[in-house]
Amino acid sequence: MRLSGYQIDMKKEAQLFKSLADETRLKMLWLLMGREELCVCDIMGVLGTTQSKASRHLRYLYHLGWVTDRRDGVWMNYRLSIAPGSPEDKQLKCLAEILSSRPEAQALRDRLEQWLAAKGQGKEGAAACQCS
Amino acid sequence: MRAEARFFKSLSDETRLKILWLLSGTEELCVCDIIDVLRITQSKASRHLRYLYHLGWVTDRRDGLWMNYRLCVPPGSPGEKLLKLLEELLAPQPEAQALRGQMALCLQTKRNTECARKLKSSQKRSPQGLTET
Repeated sequence: MRLSGYQIDMKKEAQLFKSLADETRLKMLWLLMGREELCVCDIMGVLGTTQSKASRHLRYLYHLGWVTDRRDGVWMNYRLSIAPGSPEDKQLKCLAEILSSRPEAQALRDRLEQWLAAKGQGKEGAAACQCS
Repeated sequence: MRAEARFFKSLSDETRLKILWLLSGTEELCVCDIIDVLRITQSKASRHLRYLYHLGWVTDRRDGLWMNYRLCVPPGSPGEKLLKLLEELLAPQPEAQALRGQMALCLQTKRNTECARKLKSSQKRSPQGLTET
């Protein structure tokens, strides 16, 4: 039996694009792409969001398999955990291609570097989060 | 970076995803074709198509009562990059191929009906016309 167009389910495919359909999540993924690991406090500091908003979006990404978490004292650290060649990987590559020519995107990464430098962590990543 | 998020948002709705997938597989589609294949109301189809129109994904062309839409993403634009990604992600999916198959069938049926209608009206106008050709 052939299915009609309306019976063809493409919800799963649409769901794939939902992670990047929100500006905050898009920025978070963009920042995570440029670093090995980030603390929630880094994301809060750079994006200027509340902890509850940052954590909510990071948990969303965690449950969809974009990131893994690592607890470090009171703070959670996140890093990308997508398999090479997966749909998520392809989306991030596409995002990087789109954002590479955007000054705003570069400015956001610069702000992250400044933030991390100010925190005294240098470029080794969020090894020990000292923010309060 | 709201504009970039909005581009991804265009694809995050199942109906819009299907519409863009169908448009990227053909040159131009009438709203009526989309209604037929996706079995959605005219108001829903038009609403999503106007959304895509305002974000610069498609251009429109009026043909009598109906609007026709086609993709209009410039080469190298974010839209074009996303459509390439969409093609890469959906082409291996049987559901996505089946949907394009449904559209091809719908367009073929429409063409056949139109041909039959034109033939009928030409027969009415000049019954001898057919015997001459």
